[in-house]
Amino acid sequence: MKGILKTGAKAPYDVIVCGAGHAGCEAALAAARMGADVLLLTGNLDTIAQMSCNPAVGGEAKGHMIRELDALGGEMGINADTTAIQFRLLNASKGPAVQSPRAQCDKKAYQYRLKHIIELQANLSLFQGVTTDLIFEKGKAVGVKTHLGVDFYGRALVVTTGTFLKALMHVGDAKSEGGRMGDFSAKTLSDSFKSAGIELGRFKTGTPPRILGGSIDFSKCEEQPGDTKPTFFGFYDTRGDEDLFHVEHFGQSKLGWKPGEARISCWTTHTTPTTAEVVHKNLHRSALYKGDIKGTGPRYCPSIEDKCVKFEKQDTHRVFLEPEGRNTDEWYINGLSTSLPFDTQLEIIQTVPGLEKAHIIRPAYAVEYDFVIPTQLTPTLETKNIENLFFAGQINGTTGYAEAAAQGFIAGVNAVLKIRNETPFIMQRHESYMGVLIDDLVTKGTTEPYRMFTSRAEYRLLLNAGSAEHRLLNHTQRLKIVSNKRISAIEAKVNDTLHWVKFIEKTTHTGGTFANSIRRDPLAINYSFLPIKFNKLSEATRDEILYQVRYKGYLDRDLRQIAKNTNLENIKLPKNFDYYAIRGLRIESQEKLTAIQPLTLAQASRISGVNPADINVLAIFLRAQQK
Amino acid sequence: MSWGDTIMALATPMGESAIALIRVSGPLAAPITQTAFKLEGTPPARSVKIGYYQGVEGHPLDHCAYSYFEAPRSYTGEAMLEINCHGNPLIINRLMADLIKQGCRVAEPGEFTRRAFENGKIDLTQAEAIADLIRAKSDRAILLAQRQLQGALGERVHELVDQVLNLLAQTEAYIDFPEEDLPPEDKEGPLQDLSKVIASVKKLLRNRQQAPLLCDGIKTVIIGAPNAGKSSLLNILAGHERALVSAEPGTTRDYIVERIIIGQYSLQLVDTAGIRESDNPLEAQGIERAIQQAEAADFYIGVFDQSAPWPDLPQSLLDRLTSERTLLIINKCDLSCHPHFNIHPALAAHTKILLSLKTGQGIDDLASVIQSTIENQLIHPSEDDLLINTRHGAAISKAYEHLNDAKGQDGLQKPVELMASDLRLAIDALGEITGKIENEQILDRLFGNFCIGK
Repeated sequence: MKGILKTGAKAPYDVIVCGAGHAGCEAALAAARMGADVLLLTGNLDTIAQMSCNPAVGGEAKGHMIRELDALGGEMGINADTTAIQFRLLNASKGPAVQSPRAQCDKKAYQYRLKHIIELQANLSLFQGVTTDLIFEKGKAVGVKTHLGVDFYGRALVVTTGTFLKALMHVGDAKSEGGRMGDFSAKTLSDSFKSAGIELGRFKTGTPPRILGGSIDFSKCEEQPGDTKPTFFGFYDTRGDEDLFHVEHFGQSKLGWKPGEARISCWTTHTTPTTAEVVHKNLHRSALYKGDIKGTGPRYCPSIEDKCVKFEKQDTHRVFLEPEGRNTDEWYINGLSTSLPFDTQLEIIQTVPGLEKAHIIRPAYAVEYDFVIPTQLTPTLETKNIENLFFAGQINGTTGYAEAAAQGFIAGVNAVLKIRNETPFIMQRHESYMGVLIDDLVTKGTTEPYRMFTSRAEYRLLLNAGSAEHRLLNHTQRLKIVSNKRISAIEAKVNDTLHWVKFIEKTTHTGGTFANSIRRDPLAINYSFLPIKFNKLSEATRDEILYQVRYKGYLDRDLRQIAKNTNLENIKLPKNFDYYAIRGLRIESQEKLTAIQPLTLAQASRISGVNPADINVLAIFLRAQQK
Repeated sequence: MSWGDTIMALATPMGESAIALIRVSGPLAAPITQTAFKLEGTPPARSVKIGYYQGVEGHPLDHCAYSYFEAPRSYTGEAMLEINCHGNPLIINRLMADLIKQGCRVAEPGEFTRRAFENGKIDLTQAEAIADLIRAKSDRAILLAQRQLQGALGERVHELVDQVLNLLAQTEAYIDFPEEDLPPEDKEGPLQDLSKVIASVKKLLRNRQQAPLLCDGIKTVIIGAPNAGKSSLLNILAGHERALVSAEPGTTRDYIVERIIIGQYSLQLVDTAGIRESDNPLEAQGIERAIQQAEAADFYIGVFDQSAPWPDLPQSLLDRLTSERTLLIINKCDLSCHPHFNIHPALAAHTKILLSLKTGQGIDDLASVIQSTIENQLIHPSEDDLLINTRHGAAISKAYEHLNDAKGQDGLQKPVELMASDLRLAIDALGEITGKIENEQILDRLFGNFCIGK
């Protein structure tokens, strides 16, 4: 049972989450599932968990993170699985570490299901209201004001307002306020942050036009069906029915469906030299190129004008046609993101084979927005200057649904731990992509919208998607967001894996150890010499065991490196340490260390510009203080 | 606090002097003292001894005075070894290189003092002075490194970094953006680029006066027709001294290298399939692989059976068997010479040794001929005057190893993510010379070279 909505200072929630996008939903669900009393505020109930850009979830590094979320008790994986219309395992021809699940989802189904999950979640109140201001008391965040004149109070606040801060959209010369077409702009919130001393930056992103499928000539395009054997985000070998939170008792609910059931193909086509001509002719009218847009955009999502200018020699660029759902004929035209005026967009789209008669139903646009410079946050995503104020998602300068969801989960969990006075939940870089994401953001900051790549993880080989439950078991056990039954199942799986890896390493037959035979023939599908019992394990477990055996040399090398660094990871740096008082540090290091306030010596060593001698000097001072 | 690893540094200035002092601190100090000075049992502590320092490869490097200090009764509080050797840069480099081979790492500026402090050997009130000292030493080291990097070495290292960054950017692009707008994946191109990089690192390493000691060893490929006696030669050479057999780590490289020591040189011996024309596809594959092996070799030993006709060798192979890097073994001298055993004109003037691997006739000279051939022909005195100090040398050696790992063995394509992992370690190693190379630089290169993004 849910209580009635609580307003005013006398009835504070444990956690208030502002914004119900991918970050906000995970934050609110995680906090509520930990037993906290949570309020989730959204500006628009109809756009909960909206995919503002393409209707796809996962992909390289992102798919890995969704697996990690799923292991810890996040919702994104299962929500994508039950609303997907096509699955693809990326890099299937490469090694397991860089294989990553990706899915096209039905946009509306995705939203509706997640909204329903939130509605059904115990301890979680949902309310439509635009947050206009934060309420501070004695340097702490204590509540929020809404445009209805109603105030809500909370012991901790998680702000996940995405691209909505002072959001300005551009279609050529035409400008309008809003974080997403058809939506509003959070105009006063930025000032509220600034007055609290939070430093903001400005980024830009863009989205392509949407067209009607009925106007596409598919005969000129190439079909891209999904994998016949889908790879899901969720781990189902450790789940019972009771772990499939409420609505996916398959077949009974319209909100989701059995993963892999509904299939729709994507299609590809390409731009032509004529496209480039049209772009060049109209370049002076692009909001981006005439200098109207001040924010920095992501290099990996270039607009069509960027592609035509920066890679002039390449005369065609691929265009992906992605269906937005089962109950709509709207198609997402991936690859034609632009800030050119609408008449030019019409002209451009006609130069693409198959789209000559395309009917645009939503224009492409660029959006500029304020973001919080993330080095002002600690690894729990709490702000350093204002206690109990957490930020998560695109507001921290990231881009992508998985990146947002990962941060939301971490902020939600840590908000609860904070008010309960418990040890924060911080993952190391070698444990998860989520750990890499947070460490990069708070230690290095970002100069463009931050997207996760597998190449950002120095221990990429240890972070294969299949091992997320293994890797994060101790955290899953501690947080207890997933059911005890599932935790037991994960423990059993991890034990099986350990047992079998050991067994394979030490058992010998005519060709030496089993392990040597496997390494000698790493591509084999079956190893007949392994006991029959091995084949009775789940496929996921067998894959993980074989991965650990086949890649042993490399995995061990990484593990040795990690062991070497634990010394530095274990040396904690005190809060509000006066780095200027340490004479041996260079001024550059003093400044950077003061700004970042690293938690450990290891984090300090990752700050660019802090060199090994600085770390030696710091270590000496810490030792001197301890004695 | 235990740091686990053993550090080493020259405590006196580098240059010509009467005596130089090298200090070693850490758990390896005792075993190194034992092996280097051939001691049985724990080395005697706190007294000055005289002895020949024997390198890991078993030959004496210098006549030294040394002292061993047991933990915690030493400057750093750890086990320490102090070696006083002759103050000649050549000898100093040799000794330090040997210590690295034994598992030491070059100390960071001020690291001895820091360890002393951590172990309570230095008064806490001196903390600030020590910090200043570390700062000063580090600044000086940075200055020195910068000065060196402005010269020819710096140029070469920056070129290397540039090439490895390109390779890595390309590899990463196809890993992280498999669905995007990239040109079709070219697997051969990067491998060729990698080979080029490896060759230039090797050249850089060879330019050091002590190259062979620090290098991975001279890769020596034994070639010849089937039955010429290649495998017997391998066995005899491997038995010449104890054959060191080591399995390398990894997945697709579960293979074994025979490593032998001749004189001061370490040789990696690779036996190959007999080279001849073949209709049998399987055999042809083996021969193809033999030729590929030969491409990566430093040195060749050709084995020929004089009781049989001279074999047909592919021209591509003949081209590689240049006189400075080839030794010919004319085997089976106990049998009469076949009338059609006519040495190919291209090889006629090469160094030869006549012997019988079966009867043992002539094999006494084998090792010394191999040694002198390597010494007089393969290893040239350095033409370039590139001064590489021990720290740089160690870093470049490390990069070299990782680049070779990245390449994989036997021309087999290595999984790209493993290749990337090796390349990254190579970049990190080069970063020890140029300053840390941040991930952002790889991304910059990636987005600069490829049109990424839908």
